[in-house]
Formats: sequence, structure tokens, C-alpha cells
Amino acid sequence: MIVSFIPILAVDVLGSVAMVVISLLSLYKAKILRGMDPDNAIFLYLLWISVGLTIFSVSRAFGHILKQFLVLTSNTDTWHAISAYSGSVNTVSFMLVGLITLFFNQNWNINEKIFSGRKKLEETHIKLMDLNQTLENKVVERTERLTSSEHKCRRIFEQSLDTILVTDAEFRIMETNPAGIALMGYDREEMIEKKMILGGFFLDSSEWEKLSEKIKFKEYILNEEAEFIRPDNESILVLITGGLDYGAFGCAKTYHFIIKNVNDKRQMEQQIAQADKLAALGELSAGVAHEINNPLGIILGYTQLLLKQEQEPENKDDLKIIEKHVQNCKTVVSDLLSFSRKGSTEMSIVDINKVVDGVVKFLSNHSDFRNIEMTLNPHKGDRLNILGNEQELSQVIINLVINACHAVDRKGNIDIVTEKTDQDKIFIRVKDNGKGVETKNLTRIFDPFFTTKPVGQGTGLGLSVGYGIIKRHQGDISVKSSKGKGTVFTISLSAVKSKA
Amino acid sequence: MPKKYWFNPGSFLRFIPVFAIASLILLPLDVYAIQIHTSSEGIITHQVGHLFFLFSMVVLIFTITGKGLNKQKGWRMIQYSAFFFVLWNIDAIIAHFLDNQICAIKIENISLTRIKLVSQNDSSVLPWLYYILKLDHLLSVPAMLFLFKGLSNLVDDQKKIIKEKASQ
Repeated sequence: MIVSFIPILAVDVLGSVAMVVISLLSLYKAKILRGMDPDNAIFLYLLWISVGLTIFSVSRAFGHILKQFLVLTSNTDTWHAISAYSGSVNTVSFMLVGLITLFFNQNWNINEKIFSGRKKLEETHIKLMDLNQTLENKVVERTERLTSSEHKCRRIFEQSLDTILVTDAEFRIMETNPAGIALMGYDREEMIEKKMILGGFFLDSSEWEKLSEKIKFKEYILNEEAEFIRPDNESILVLITGGLDYGAFGCAKTYHFIIKNVNDKRQMEQQIAQADKLAALGELSAGVAHEINNPLGIILGYTQLLLKQEQEPENKDDLKIIEKHVQNCKTVVSDLLSFSRKGSTEMSIVDINKVVDGVVKFLSNHSDFRNIEMTLNPHKGDRLNILGNEQELSQVIINLVINACHAVDRKGNIDIVTEKTDQDKIFIRVKDNGKGVETKNLTRIFDPFFTTKPVGQGTGLGLSVGYGIIKRHQGDISVKSSKGKGTVFTISLSAVKSKA
Repeated sequence: MPKKYWFNPGSFLRFIPVFAIASLILLPLDVYAIQIHTSSEGIITHQVGHLFFLFSMVVLIFTITGKGLNKQKGWRMIQYSAFFFVLWNIDAIIAHFLDNQICAIKIENISLTRIKLVSQNDSSVLPWLYYILKLDHLLSVPAMLFLFKGLSNLVDDQKKIIKEKASQ
């Protein structure tokens, strides 16, 4: 059968070329695929297949094209010589492709394992990320809480009006707050760097010994009263509460103290007790004075009547003695009535400087003041006006100056000072350099009938009456005294605000 | 767990040494130090190679179906490619059988454009069949084209997966 060779030739040559081109394109695609997921064993398998098929296509195309060329150029013998090699390469190449193809299942299983492993890894990664995120969030949250708590504690520590003190096991000061610095009167550096011992602030060292033993034994102390001494020798009454902290994370044990200044409170309590006592005495005195005043008036009236009628000088002297003592009684009764506020008082604007000046002028002419150097330091500037009773205030100041005169034993210095503060407070200070008052008597000095003078020389009502008058003027009277160094009486009154 | 396919090429390969040993025992021959190879071994080896290639492609077709990969267009295309390679192998095996193995057909070049196909048994069908079989590139080129298309589709699918992952 004779047929056209053209279709066979065309299909052979064009097909061979097409095979080479398409196999190369396939190889290119397989490489892209592999590049997209290098861990994918199936893509690697497809790349191998493509490589095998490309080798097959190229070798086959080469063989076929060469064959056609040699046959057409009448070199059939040459082709016969080459064909065996070309055929062998072809055989090997498609057997290679076949062999690779048979490994598909193994590749698939490997790929499944890789994917399963990767999936587990991704899941674990996500879980780890979640855990990490949660951990980060918790760390942020805890840090914020810790910062807030630290800030709160720091504010409590810094802002506390009570002293907060941290000491080591040997009671050496490690930390204190601003209130502690104010209370102790030392610099922060001085207290901490020099490691001052808490016991050094105690006025009485035996008191500290007892307290330190107690806290060591019981590991705490609660509201223990103690007296501290400041660098300026001022003593302060304090309440101490403290406890032992064993510390965390290997920290050394420390003691924490809270120290409360109760000086003012105690003084106030004493003043209240004094006021209560005086009020009760005032009530009693008023009753007694009222009951005695009328009979005394009758006694005095009849005594004076008898004095007019009596001709006998001996009887007259007796009646005069009676009259004198009745007069004394009436003075006492009058003082008692003044003390108990039963008297009538008219309030008006009074210039304190004027009152004090009048008192000084009045007393300087008195014989008792001849050997006394009395100096007046009045406040200069605006007037020291208060709302009060001039006579009563004069009486108080006269009493104080006379007391000072007795304290210096009619020979010494008496200073009278008036001053006004920015807070519209007026102070009158009567200071002497006399014998002073004993500490035990200071608390009783304003009590009615309390006197250190010899019997018959004082009624013991001067200061208590003065106290009553000052209290009635919404003021205060206090005393400071040191035995042998002198006494200072301070009257404080509220100024009337001057009209602009 | 991957679905187990009825045929496991791995286990098949494991049996190759067994078959080889069995052949040596069951088919004893005179043993010479160096065996003499005849020229006919070449074509038989080539035919065995075609059979092996055909077999592997059949296995691939069934494996793709067995694993349900044919739901993906790319793998379906690769399956088509394997199918065309199967056809091409059948074509090649028959053609080689006719011209090289049993020499049933002989080609004579008459001119540059014409050939004469001579059938040994004067069959009129055999030359035509051989002529058609010689146009084997009509099977191998589509096979390769389907492989290229399959790989292209797999590349596109992979790009989509990467894009989806990136957008998540």
C-alpha cells in the first residue's frame, strides 16, 4: 500500500516539537507549584513527573526528528546505528516516569503526614499565641493593678497625717513619711542615712526599753502611750502602734510603726476637763454667793446702823472689825458672782492697747510697783479692737500684773506685750522673771480658791475670775512657767474685723 | 487518614525481589558466566518499558479517583493526561509489535513524500492500522497538554488558597 508520508512526517516533527514545548511549560508550572509550597510532597512528586516527561519528550523528539532527517537524507544506516541508543534513552525515560508515578501513593501518605503534622503545629501555634496573648494581657493587667496598688499605698504613706515608720530588726529607721519628719523634727536624710534608732526619740529611755521588749515578745504593740522629745526639747505625747513584718521573698524582717501625735488632743481634753470643773464650781459658787449675799447685806446694814448709834469706843472698834470682814465677804461674794457669770456685762468695741496702757499707768503709781521695771510693748499698726467689756478686761490684766508683782516679790521685771496675727488673733502676754509656778500647780492655777499665797493674803479667785471673763469673751488664757525662771500668761482674743 | 486504595504500588515493588527469586528457582536454565544478549532483547525491553509506563498510568488514574482528587479540575486534567498516555502506550506497543517484533509491516521509502507499507500477510487492514498507529503524537501531545493544563489549574488553586489564607 502506497500512502503519503507527509502526515506521518508532519505529525512526527510537529508533535515532537509540541511535546518538548509543552513538557517544558509543564515543568515550569510544576516548579511554580513546588515553589508555592515547598513542604508539599505531592507537588514535589508532580515536579519529578514533569522532569521525567521532559527528559522523555526531549530524547524522543530528538530521536524522531533525527530519524526523519537521516531517512529523508538517505542516511538510513546512520539512523540504524543511532536508533538503538535513542530507543534505549526513550525506554529509560518513560520507565523512569512510570516508576515515579508508582510512588504516588507513598508520596500521598507522606504528604498527608506532613499536612497533619503541619495542621497540628499550626493549631499548637495558635494555642500558644492565644496563651501568649492571654499571658501578655494578664501581665499588663497585673502590672496595672500593681502600679495602681503601689500608687495607692504610696499616697497613703505620703499623705498620712500620722507618722508611718519602718525600722529594721534593730529598730533603726529605714523609711518614714513626711508626717514622721514633721513629728520627729529631724531631716529625712538624718534619720535614714544615719540610721537613727526609734528609741532615741523617747523622753524616758526606760519607757522605750519596756516597749521594745514588749514588741519583741508579742510581735506587736497597740496604742502604747509615750513621750517623745524633739531636737528643740519640746516634748510630744504620742500613741504608738507597731508590728513585726517577717518580709517576703527572702527580705529581712522589719518593724512597721504608726505613731499618732496626741499632744493637742490631750491638752484639749485637759482644757475640757478644766472647763467642766470650773463650770460646776461656778454653779456652786453662784448658789452659795446668792444665799450669802442677802444675809451679808443685812449684817452690814445693821452693823453700820449700830456703828452710828454706838457711843462706846470699845464697842465701836468691834463693830468696825465686823464691818471690815463683812466687806471682805462681800468682795468674795462679788468675785464669785463675777466668776459664775451672774453679773451683767455690756459689750462694746474695746481697744486692747488702750486698756493695757490704762492698767500700766494705773499700777505704775502704786507703791508695790516702785521697784519693778514694767515695760509695755504694744502692737504697732492698726488698732487692736475686740468686742468686750473694758472694765472686765482691765480687771483681768490688773489681776495678772498684780500676780506678776507678787511673783517677782515686788522687785523685778514685768513685760506686757500685745500683738496681732494675720489670722485676726490678738495676744496679750504678761511675763515676769519671778519664782515661777511648780509643774504640779499649773493644772490647778485657774481653780477657784486655789492659791499659793499665805492665808489671808489671797482669796484664790483672781485667776479663776479672769478665766471666766476671758472665756466669756470667746478667748483663751494659758500659762507657761518654769520654776525659778518666771511665768508667762497669754490671753488670746478674737479681733473685730476692721471695716474698710 | 488517607483512603487505602485497592492497589498499593509500594507493596507491589516489595514483591519484585520475590518474583525474581521465584523465577530463578521455578525456571532453571543453563547458567553461563556471562549471558549472551540477542538484538531482540532491545525491543522486548522497550515493550516492557511501555507496558510498565502504561501500568503506572492506569494506577495513577485509579489512585486519583480512589483519593477523590478528580473533584479538582487540575487532578482531573492529570487523570485525562494519564488516560491519553495509556492510549499512547497501547498505540506504541501495537506499532512496535507490528514493525519490530513480528515484522508484520515493512516500510519502503518511494520518494520524499510517499511510502509503501508492505504487509507480510498481504492484509489490507494492517497497513492502514499501522499508518494510523504511526500518528501516535496525536495521542502523546494531548496527553502532555492535559498535564500542562492540570498543573496550571493546580497552580491557580494554590494561588487562591494562599490569597484566602492571607485575607484571614
